[in-house]
Amino acid sequence: MYGHGDNEVRALDGVTVEFEQGRFTAIMGPSGSGKSTLMHCVAGLDSLSSGSVTIGEHELTSMSDGDLTRLRRTQVGFIFQAFNLIPTLSALENIVLPLSLAGQAGDQQWIDQVIDTIGLRDRLGHRPSELSGGQQQRVAVARALASKPAVIFADEPTGNLDSRTGHEVLGFMRRAVTDLGQTIVMVTHDAVAASYADRIVFLKDGKIAGEMLAPTPEKVLDKIKNLGE
Amino acid sequence: MLRLASKMAMARKGRLVLTSLAIILGTSFLSGTFIFSDTITKTFDRLFTDVFRDVDAYVRSSSFIEVPFGGEQRGSTPIDALPTVLEAPGVADATGDIQAFARIIGKDGEPIGLDNGPPTFGGIASASVAGLWTIEEGRLPEGPSQMVMDRASADDGGFTVGDTVRVNAQSGSREFELVGIASYGDISSPGGATFALFDQPTASEFLLKPGNVDAFLVQGDGSMSQEELAASIQSRLDPSLKLEVLTGARIAEETKDQIGQAIGFLTTFLTIFSLIALGIGSFVIYNVFSITTAQRLRENALLRAIGAERGQVTRMLLVEAVAIGVVGSLLGFLSGIAISQGLKALLAAFGGEIPSQGLSIAPSAAVITIVVGTVVTIVAAILPALRAGRVPPLAAMRDTAIETVGTGRTRLVIALVALAAGGAAVAASLAGADNLVLGLGVMLVFAAVITAGPLLAKPVGLGIGRPIAALRGITGSMARQNAVRNPKRTARTAAPVLIGVALVTAFTAFAASVRTQVRDAIGEQFRGDYAVSSPQQGFGGLPVSLADEVAAVPGVTQATGLGFVAVKIDGESRFVAVIDPTSASGLVDYKMVQGDQRSLDAGGILVTQSRAEAKGWALGDVLDVQLVDGTERPLAIRGTFDAEGFLGSYVVNQEVFAGSDTTLFDQFVYVTTDGSEGVRDALFDATEARGLGSLQSRDEFIDDQSGQINQILALINALLGLSIIIAVVGIVITLLLSVYERRREIGLLRAVGMTRSQTWGTVTWESVITSLYGAVSGVALGIGMGALLIGVLADDGISAFTLPIGGTIVILVISFVIGVLAAIYPAWRATRTDIMQAISTT
Repeated sequence: MYGHGDNEVRALDGVTVEFEQGRFTAIMGPSGSGKSTLMHCVAGLDSLSSGSVTIGEHELTSMSDGDLTRLRRTQVGFIFQAFNLIPTLSALENIVLPLSLAGQAGDQQWIDQVIDTIGLRDRLGHRPSELSGGQQQRVAVARALASKPAVIFADEPTGNLDSRTGHEVLGFMRRAVTDLGQTIVMVTHDAVAASYADRIVFLKDGKIAGEMLAPTPEKVLDKIKNLGE
Repeated sequence: MLRLASKMAMARKGRLVLTSLAIILGTSFLSGTFIFSDTITKTFDRLFTDVFRDVDAYVRSSSFIEVPFGGEQRGSTPIDALPTVLEAPGVADATGDIQAFARIIGKDGEPIGLDNGPPTFGGIASASVAGLWTIEEGRLPEGPSQMVMDRASADDGGFTVGDTVRVNAQSGSREFELVGIASYGDISSPGGATFALFDQPTASEFLLKPGNVDAFLVQGDGSMSQEELAASIQSRLDPSLKLEVLTGARIAEETKDQIGQAIGFLTTFLTIFSLIALGIGSFVIYNVFSITTAQRLRENALLRAIGAERGQVTRMLLVEAVAIGVVGSLLGFLSGIAISQGLKALLAAFGGEIPSQGLSIAPSAAVITIVVGTVVTIVAAILPALRAGRVPPLAAMRDTAIETVGTGRTRLVIALVALAAGGAAVAASLAGADNLVLGLGVMLVFAAVITAGPLLAKPVGLGIGRPIAALRGITGSMARQNAVRNPKRTARTAAPVLIGVALVTAFTAFAASVRTQVRDAIGEQFRGDYAVSSPQQGFGGLPVSLADEVAAVPGVTQATGLGFVAVKIDGESRFVAVIDPTSASGLVDYKMVQGDQRSLDAGGILVTQSRAEAKGWALGDVLDVQLVDGTERPLAIRGTFDAEGFLGSYVVNQEVFAGSDTTLFDQFVYVTTDGSEGVRDALFDATEARGLGSLQSRDEFIDDQSGQINQILALINALLGLSIIIAVVGIVITLLLSVYERRREIGLLRAVGMTRSQTWGTVTWESVITSLYGAVSGVALGIGMGALLIGVLADDGISAFTLPIGGTIVILVISFVIGVLAAIYPAWRATRTDIMQAISTT
């Protein structure tokens, strides 16, 4: 739940949802359906007025800001729509940022593998401003992967990209799950993007409005139409 | 447009407050200085109007010598002339007046009153109505062993009528019976001064010379105007006495003027520092306007896109600047009232206590402060406003507010031209051009360094940040990058630190050099084991008889006194050192270039080699020396000596003053002993125990004398402290604006795992790098300026430049701390950044 008192706005109301390890889950819903709020809450960015969030064996709701921050470094990866990268840091520095903040070197072999997967080895020394939008998002994906988090949350990761670059980035995310065994939760309103997921959770007015397994763009669009009515 | 401007300004109250803060700080010191000087001037005006209330005419010697900092020393008036004055038509009453040096010694052996505070006087208490004193308790003093003192001193020293009181004056140290306590008009002590009062013959003999007073105070019988009365007296006086008669109104006015002149020096001194503060403040104002217009780029571009003309955007920002300038200066003026009290406390802390009653605020102080503050604000806003007007409408579509960074070639050229011009001016002044040229040169060098700032900020900032990045890992390296990501902004933020630090460093370097020089000079010239030194400088000192008394102390092998007296040499006022060549021989050792120190007789003078060369004087040339009472003494140059600065540029035999009205005091008494046990105790009993100066060993004396420059340095640094505060506020403002600008980035960092303390660290280290960048360039510039100052003063005896290593380290450490402190609030704000809001894409 979100908000309190008589004028409370129930951004999320009685939502119980589980995201399984090693799978790519998408959250879909119309604007204001609470999909971003849901993601922020489960990612430990936002607090709940009631209810609980658990990542692995970590209970987030009772954690202090410091504990939550440290949890985000190691257990959670983030990919945002824009402003994903720190402009003063190079691509490589951005990738290992959560590890650097934790004062850890990380698993070098894993990081190398991630970098090879996103295919930007020759651009690692560049600043974000010297990279294209697609490259920037790929660096963001790599950063999310670098610490081998329990879960990666992506908020409209392709919202600012043209469709070709978008597919590229989504492809990487798909491979991170299939080939590298990562767990991704992605918020999107784009049916095509959602179709890259193993499972889709639909939200409407802060409530769960259905689920879909093995989605295709057509099925997703149908479902959205139904939701709109 | 006006309404839009005010709406847009009001929409960003925080920014408005920050900009105003810079203006408030910049103007408050200026207004503080005005209020401070108004207040003390008024206080003294009231005081002297009061003091000369019953004086209709004032008779004094017409011969005088001006001394530096707004004073004069005047010849004496013979008391024999008093009957003539009393007989003059229109005179009801007249009395002798003395205001000479006398120090009342407390029961604990410590002199009453501050060492460098208000003067300590000796004077005459008489029954005459024209006299300035009223007996409050007891009776008037009569005969050579009675005295009265002012109420404040009596209270201070715990004296009551009947006590025995020790007083030190020109003729020595004596004990008197306290027979009364007096008040000065309605006040217990005028201006915090202390007064020991005697009957006229005792005062004359003890304080001046038998038969002499300073002046006559005359009261008219009311039958004629003050002018007629003065003329009446003047016409009766023997012209050969060289006496002049002033009206009561005139002497009150003159006394006020003299005090006013002394206050004027102080005011000028303070005004210089307030202008420095304002200059530094204007940098902060300029910086804030630059950053805020850059952050408002989209807003201004939008205005342009929907049809605002360039001029309209520019004008809108200028209107905003005027409004902020007026409000900020008004608030600055008001905070100046607090500053004026602070100045008073500051001067008191440095021994210059100034009496003041209430608070006096002239309307002109308010007008000047507000006009100056507003003009400075507008000037600081012009460039940013023009820049805002030039924003292309298309920028409305762009995302962030990045200030443009040019190629820097033009900047480099301007900086180099300014540097070359400044260097040339400095070189010219070293070669002998006017000091004004030097000032211009220094300003140009400052301008060059500040112009080049944006080019220097990046490499220097990166260099300073390297160890921080190495030590603090990712937070350090992000701080390092943040500090240089906008070199223009960093340079502007650091400029106030740079200027403040450069000035502090220059004075520190200068003081260090003076200290070394004085230490060397005293070490060479002073050959004794002990020294007794008087805390008084300029007015009073140790009785000249003290040297003989000290010489008689068992275990003392030799003792000699050294004093300073104002005379006119070839028509110019100069202080000459006065010695007794016989007892000084081997104890005060002038480094003679020509001639012999021992050949200094009553008809001779020693001058420094450099002065002799500058004036083209040779051994045997006769200088025309005029004493305070107008006596002419032709003195032949017996020798020239090296190294001045400490023991004076001219030296004469004390016998030169024999038979004149000059009051002689010793500043120092130098002593050699046989080293026997208990000699120091015996010396102490003869001197310090009687309130006569302070006794120091050779090493203590050298430390003390060379350390005196530290007091002035401390005062200057305290005054520059305000500039440093403004610099700190400048850093705070810039950091706040940067944190605001980067709130998205900070939110992202927090999202991916930056803790609050790491966020704090990043902002703090950025602040430290900025502050140290300013400090490092300031230190470099300051050392250069210090060396230059020494170079310019080489002719005045200060030649060796000493690098202030300790001082520089202290400055850098302080700058580091400043960086940490300035970051506190911005860092706190950064840790409070709302992650959700910062990363939300809409």
